[in-house]
This record gives sequence, structure tokens and C-alpha cells, in this order.
Amino acid sequence: MSTIALKTLFLKEVRRFSKVWLQTILSPLVTTSLYFLVFGVALGSRLREISGVPYIQFVVPGLVMMTMIRDSFLNTSSSLFQSKINGTITDILVAPIGALEMVLAYVGAAMIRAIIVGTLVCLVALSFTWFPLHHMGWTLFFTIFVTATLALLGMIVALWAQKFDHLAIFPNFVLLPLAFLGGVFYSIDLLPEPWHTVSRLNPLLYMVNGLRFGFLGVADVSPVTSAGVVLVSFLVVLVAASALLRSGYNLRT
Amino acid sequence: MKPPVLRCRHVTKRYGKFTALKDLSLEVYEGEIFALLGPNGAGKSTLIHCITGLAKRSEGSIEVLGFDTVNDFRTTRRLVGLVPQEIGYDPFFTPLESLMIQMGLMGVEPNRSRAESLLETFALGDKRDAYTRTLSGGMKRRLLVAKALVHDPRLLFLDEPTSGVDVELRRELWQEVEDLRTAGTTIVLTTHYIEEAEKLADRIGILHKGELLLVESRESLLERHGGRPLEDIYLELIRKADGRHAA
Repeated sequence: MSTIALKTLFLKEVRRFSKVWLQTILSPLVTTSLYFLVFGVALGSRLREISGVPYIQFVVPGLVMMTMIRDSFLNTSSSLFQSKINGTITDILVAPIGALEMVLAYVGAAMIRAIIVGTLVCLVALSFTWFPLHHMGWTLFFTIFVTATLALLGMIVALWAQKFDHLAIFPNFVLLPLAFLGGVFYSIDLLPEPWHTVSRLNPLLYMVNGLRFGFLGVADVSPVTSAGVVLVSFLVVLVAASALLRSGYNLRT
Repeated sequence: MKPPVLRCRHVTKRYGKFTALKDLSLEVYEGEIFALLGPNGAGKSTLIHCITGLAKRSEGSIEVLGFDTVNDFRTTRRLVGLVPQEIGYDPFFTPLESLMIQMGLMGVEPNRSRAESLLETFALGDKRDAYTRTLSGGMKRRLLVAKALVHDPRLLFLDEPTSGVDVELRRELWQEVEDLRTAGTTIVLTTHYIEEAEKLADRIGILHKGELLLVESRESLLERHGGRPLEDIYLELIRKADGRHAA
């Protein structure tokens, strides 16, 4: 493995999103803050408690996780796809860089972006309400593995995509609905059957509830179950992304 | 004759049912300028892509200085530089940043003074901090050449480097190619401009419909055809090959 190439590609990716920070950092922060204002502050005052915690506190981890899911996915998918479209992927393909370096660099940079935005969302939330950090270990576990999983998924989608429309399918028609239905704004215990059971098929439910347990100590699903689902998801996309990169799928003709 | 820097043996490349390269064997020797001529779709870029890793060969073997381009890809890619036919640029970075990044990607510790020196060599010194998207077409092409040289490759591929370039820049690039050869870099050049091959090449290969019709030194080729212009020789060979294919 070339450590110089890995470091360069990682720093390049970090600098890429830093150069357009209005779009990559501030924009998701503003969007999520608006969600927080509407659902947490405006509606929260009428909804009192869910799972024994004030509603305004309940939505904080969900919004943080929803933001990190979207940003880690968008960072790898847009960067890799743009490189394919503008031809600069050639710079990487002719370099002595293997699939491992590509995965580590792209995923590492996406995680950094997602964690920066997630932290800023927490700070915005703190200006409205206090919330605890119940379990640092679970918080870190879900932050690291969920952002890595979504970054890998973003790489897979970027490799598959042939046009910008393909790239937009996932965040708009898959991730956003699954995040909304994954208990960001409510507990699935409030849902009647069969929707309660159907909700359990949604992997984002475990991601949201994992972080919620880390923050608040309450969740619809036990953190061990959530961790299991997240780890399996991570391994599936890791193996898939690595295999696609090694095979040169849609990169090398 | 010096040992081959590049050795292609029985290389075949298929895209589905279409065969882009047919059982192609070729050797390129240290310090020479080898010009690969051929009409559009002849397989010139495909061959370069198979060597540099942008395409996967279907059959055969390709070695750079004795290293296999698939099994020893990390070694061969350090030895090879590519100036691609298409002008691609990263809108986020300046020419100086682009060169520093490319050094790192090639496994060389990024070195600012080396990057600045390359920019000066290619008359881009005053544009080092400009966004790449603001450069003219000629400047972008020169930047591509500089990027291909950041790691001092032993073998440099120039895939139609003067395509769509004005006469002045073309002559500047020719001089740069000569200078690189003088400095010891082996160069493989693909071009549509016969004049370019006639001026620069030590040896010439003519590729047509994926088959190598001829590989010969420029001097011997011209001498064998009684001093006729290279363009006439090239067209005659292509027409003969077309006749053979039609038959």
C-alpha cells in the first residue's frame, strides 16, 4: 500500500469539500437546523415526551444521524462521480493506487465531513435544549460505522451511475424516505401493526436508534441489535465496494 | 539495440464482440521516440489504455522494464506517465495544487519547488494559483503534460498531444518532446499528424483496425520507399489493408 498516495488522496478529498464549505458544511447545517426548529421547537412544545424524554431532546440524535447519513453518502458519491464525468479519475487510475487506498481515502474524508456537520448540528441543538451524552462508546461506534457504511454505499452508487439522474435516485428516493420512516421524528412504538413490524425492516431505523441510545439512553431497539445490523450492513457494502473497485467496474474499460 | 522498456506480446482487447486489438506484439526501446500512427478507431488509444491500466487486456502480456502491468501494477505505474487525449481537469484546484496532488498520487512526496519548476518549464508559472478552469485550452494541455511528468517517468505516453492545438503550441510541444528524449525519457506518441511523426519519431508503427501493419525505423521506411513522403506511404499501406479486409 502506498501511504503517500493514501494521504494525498485523503487530503485532496478533504480539501475538495472544504473549498465548497457553503455547499458541503453550511447548507446541510441550515437545513437540519430548520428541521430542528420546526419539529423540535415548534411542534415539540405540544408533543411533550416520547420514550420518557422531552420531544425536543428526542429528535436531536435522529437529526444528527440523518445529517451524517446524507453527508457521508453525498461526499463519496458526488466526488467519485464527478471525477468520472470530468475525466480526472484518470489521474487516480494511472497511479500506483489500489482499491484499499481508494476506499480508505474516500471513506475517511466522507466521515470527516459527516462528523463535522454532525458536531455542528449538535452545537445548534445545544443552543435550544440541553441533552445528555448517555454512552460515549455507543455514540462513537454508531457515528463511525454508520458514516463509513454510507460513504461506501456512496462509492458503489457513484461507480454504478452513468448520469447525474442516477446519482440523485439514492438520496432522494431511498435515503430520505428511509430516514423519515426510520424513527427520526417518532418512536416506532407509536405505530400500529403492520407498520411497526415493517419499520423493523428498515436498516436506517437501527442507525437512528443506535445513536439515540448513545445520546439519551432510550431507543426502540436494543443497542446490541442495532450494532449487529450496522456491522452487517458495513461489511456488505465494504466487500461490495472493494470488489467493484478491484474489478474496475465502470472505471477501467 | 538497448533492452526494451515496453514489451507487448500477443495482446488482444475485446469489447463484447468487437475486437479492438488483435494479437498485437510490439517492443519499444529505451530512449527512443516511437510514433504510433493510424486512422480513428485503429486501436491506438486502446493500446495505451491497456498499458497504463485504463483498460483491461483480454489476452496477452504487457511488461514495462520487465514488470507485468497487471501483476506488478504498482511498479509499472510508477515507471509510466500518460498525457491523455481528452483534457480533464479538476475545477477545485489550481495548477500548482494539481501538480502537488499528482506527485502524491504517484507515490512521490509532494515537492513545491519541483511543481513550480515544472510550471515554469511549461510556461504556466504565472498561472500557478489560477483556477484550472480559467486556463486556455493550450494551457490545460500543457498542464496535462506537466502532470504526467511529476514522477519522472521512464516511459511517457502522449496520446494525440497536439490534437486541436494551434501551430505555435504544437511546435512548443514538439520541442518539449525532444527535450524529454534528450533527458532520457522513452516516448510513445500517437498522432494523426504524419508531419509530427516524420519530424519526431525514431521508429514508426502503423496500426489499422487493431492490427499492427508495420513497425520500422523512420529512416529505413523512407529509404525503402524511395524518399516518398511519409504521408503517401501511410495512405498506401492503409488502402492496401482496407483492400485486404474487403477481400
